[in-house]
Amino acid sequence: MDRDIFERRLSAILVVVAAMLIVLVVRLWQVQVVQGDYYLKLSEENRLRVTPVAAPRGALVDRQGRTLAANRPAFTVALLPLEVRRPAAEAAALGKILGMDPAEILLRLADGRDRPFEPVRLRRDVPKEVIAAIEEGQLDLPGVLVEVEPVRQYVYRSLAAQIFGYVGEINDQELRRLRSAGYELGDLIGKDGVEQTYDAYIRGKNGEIQAEVDAQGRVVRTLGTVPAVPGNTVVLGMDLTVQQVAEAGLGGRPGAVVAMDPRDGTIIAMVSHPAFDPDVFSGGIKAGVWNGLLKDPDRPLLDRVIQGAYPPGSVFKVVTASAALQLGLVTPETGFYSPGYYNLGGWTFHEWKALGHVNFIDAIAQSCDACFYQLAQRAGPNAVADYARRYGLGAPTGVDLPNEGDGVVPDPRWKERVWKQPWFGGDTLNTGIGQGYVLTTPLQIARMMAAVANGGTLVTPHVVTEIRSLDGKVIARIAPPPSGRVNVSRETMAILHTGLAAVVTRGTGTGVLMPGLTVAGKTGTAEASHGKPYAWFAAYAPVDQPRLVVVAMVENAGFGAENALPVVKLVLQAAFGIGESGAAPSGTPGAPGAPAQAQPAKAPAAIPRQGAPGTAAPKVGQ
Amino acid sequence: MSVGIDRRVARNIDPFLAGATLLLCVFGLVMVYSTTRYGLHPLMFVRSQALHLVVGVLVAGFILAVDYRSFAAGARWLYVVNLLLLAAVLVAGRSSLGAQRWIPLGPLGQFQPSEFAKLAIVITLARHLADRPGPYTSVRDLLPFLAHIGLPMILIFKQPDLGTALVYGAIFVGMLYAGGARRRDLALLGAAGAVATPLLWRVFKEYQRRRLLSFLDPSLDPRGAGYGIIQSKIAVGSGMLWGKGLFAGTQNVLQFVPEHHTDFIFSVVGEELGFIGAVLLLLLFYIWVARGVRAAAVARDRFGALVAVGIVSMIAFHVFVNVGMTVGIMPITGIPLPFISYGGSALMTMIWAAALLLNIGMRRQKILF
Repeated sequence: MDRDIFERRLSAILVVVAAMLIVLVVRLWQVQVVQGDYYLKLSEENRLRVTPVAAPRGALVDRQGRTLAANRPAFTVALLPLEVRRPAAEAAALGKILGMDPAEILLRLADGRDRPFEPVRLRRDVPKEVIAAIEEGQLDLPGVLVEVEPVRQYVYRSLAAQIFGYVGEINDQELRRLRSAGYELGDLIGKDGVEQTYDAYIRGKNGEIQAEVDAQGRVVRTLGTVPAVPGNTVVLGMDLTVQQVAEAGLGGRPGAVVAMDPRDGTIIAMVSHPAFDPDVFSGGIKAGVWNGLLKDPDRPLLDRVIQGAYPPGSVFKVVTASAALQLGLVTPETGFYSPGYYNLGGWTFHEWKALGHVNFIDAIAQSCDACFYQLAQRAGPNAVADYARRYGLGAPTGVDLPNEGDGVVPDPRWKERVWKQPWFGGDTLNTGIGQGYVLTTPLQIARMMAAVANGGTLVTPHVVTEIRSLDGKVIARIAPPPSGRVNVSRETMAILHTGLAAVVTRGTGTGVLMPGLTVAGKTGTAEASHGKPYAWFAAYAPVDQPRLVVVAMVENAGFGAENALPVVKLVLQAAFGIGESGAAPSGTPGAPGAPAQAQPAKAPAAIPRQGAPGTAAPKVGQ
Repeated sequence: MSVGIDRRVARNIDPFLAGATLLLCVFGLVMVYSTTRYGLHPLMFVRSQALHLVVGVLVAGFILAVDYRSFAAGARWLYVVNLLLLAAVLVAGRSSLGAQRWIPLGPLGQFQPSEFAKLAIVITLARHLADRPGPYTSVRDLLPFLAHIGLPMILIFKQPDLGTALVYGAIFVGMLYAGGARRRDLALLGAAGAVATPLLWRVFKEYQRRRLLSFLDPSLDPRGAGYGIIQSKIAVGSGMLWGKGLFAGTQNVLQFVPEHHTDFIFSVVGEELGFIGAVLLLLLFYIWVARGVRAAAVARDRFGALVAVGIVSMIAFHVFVNVGMTVGIMPITGIPLPFISYGGSALMTMIWAAALLLNIGMRRQKILF
């Protein structure tokens, strides 16, 4: 190419570059010199500050729309790092007013130093008197801001505390994990229970206020507001009335109650006692209170229904009976003789009562240990373990709550691995009656009973049934598919039905008999390593078309029939709307004016009508 | 190939270009310090930047020692390796701000192949243009070159890195224009690009669309994309004629301007050093570019001349788009200010580009005694 053309074109390029730079210089002149005063004013006298506005969390409501958790406005005290002139003195003064350790305030201040123009929240839910004190002393505390923010409020205090969970400020770990999902420093996040599992739906979207602030950080003029979008409403399968009855039935005793629809796993009530008071979390929990909760020997943070691990005792006989029936070891007419003990290799295994001659149905009804020792021994430990697993024991149920336990289904290989010991004959016997190494969560037992009740489907329990937007539209239905089938024959199921019904009509569970409702169930009295046995009762009703499974477990209480059964009975009565006398119910206690009360007498208050799931209760998922 | 610098050749080093580069780098360190001296580790950023500067200068020494023509020999390999690296980003890259631009290097940190790719494209395209010297009598003659940059451009676009992809466009236009392409053919390609833009709109990520829209009207989204533009203008404008003084910028301290140590560092220059400082910096860039054009003019061969033009186009485009963005006349595209913005890969790329220019300039045909 021609050298001249090349050089001409180089000159042209240089001219273009010079022109571009001149454009920039002109623009800089315009911005810095012509409009400089204006921008200087903006920058020095008026600063644009964007303050996040916390979104109110979505409500938790029960299946009839009764509010379980909402929000209330509360004062938050925050500090603007930029304005703090004497950090140590101010931290000391604020610490005294807010009841915080000054060192903690300094620490939070240091965390915020990278972004000195963003307020650092010190304490939420500060009492009004304290706010008054701060406002009076405002001059001594530069940089202190008081904001009004929504704070979680659980309407019924500690009711279902572990199921709802609690809310707290997001920590570093969660932030690292969730930053891409839009979480930010200082955000509130569900830390347990429904609050955690469904946080993405509940949290809403923070808004912001764009304001001009003066050099002292005071708002001069609000430029714009992006309103916070409140979170979605989470509809629980819970029936508040039934829940309240279950809570009261268990009372102050440590234990667990769960009521579940055996057809789809919807949880109607779930109680774990002792519970905690969720209000201690509302303002950001104090370290002392938190440590107290963690170290409490009664473990109030533990959701016993899903995280407890208890020997199921005789309730486990459902498994042993299934194994024996499936293996053809027994028929309903098979006769047993119980002298009150059972001998194996020179050891004597005692039985709770000498029952004499019984058939298999009565062996279930009377909870004959000697009979089940014999069946367990003949079936063998691996078969018993196999059937336990078929019923979903030894594995999490997949409930929509965090940190579910999985329990233990022991077999010889398991014992070898965990205990480095061989399996003994006595281990088989103990397993056969739900003692020894067997450990279950009450929810696993409920699902096992549900499988018997519904003919063999292992439902997936779930606390939440749907998510609704603020305008009431259903945006998600929570209806997890069953995790599988138990795979036992129809005949076996029929015999189990008969046996469990006999428990109530003529066996250990007669205490639950009530007019107007047929109930099948199984008692359990499981020896504990310390103290009195764990009392169990697991039931379903009505017998021919079961719509509810209820399981109660009371720690160290004694006999199941005496201690757990009455709780189950109360829950059944509440759920099916049956008065103690058997007369037509005059209304379920604790929920005056609730929609269910408008239903005709005898109609179940909580349980969807038989054969038509989802018609009685408002919008239950399939 | 001759390694080592002949003394007579070394005497040919352009002192203005070397001096301007050095001044820009030192000024960059000062500004990086000014923008990042808050927080618990005030020296963290500036130390990292200085480290990259030192490494970059050491490598630049090697670049000077080798005759630039040996780069032409390795162009084919360079092109392939470059494509592989860009593809690797898409596979193994680390994302940040919605884009995947970095390859993690374990303890060595991470690097951004798209920065080095700019230089690789200049070298390989120059070789390509030198191999097919034309004359280019129709737009069809330009298509091989379009394909040449199109491939890496698509990979970079997919990251997505709109700004860097546009830099390629500037390099392409500059080099083809200098290489002898007809103006009307280049205009035709430009028009085709403009027509294709609405199609690209659908490929853009949400944040890119928002940035472009808020460039047209910052008040659409004062907190989001428009926020950066408004705050940057406030910072620059409040510097007025003389600036608030080095390290005295209030908008800088308050971190009102996002990315103010990387893409928006010029807003702090404008705030702290004022119109005078900003214009002096632009002048320094002009000197740099003018000396680069001179290197192109005196280059002993077509390859060297075109490499010089490519580098000049790259730097000029960077400066114009970056500074234009901070004063609200260009959309936010994430292009760093050469030598000044914080970022190791970019800094080293720019230093090596300067070394290449010096190399071309000092190995010119007529050696002056």
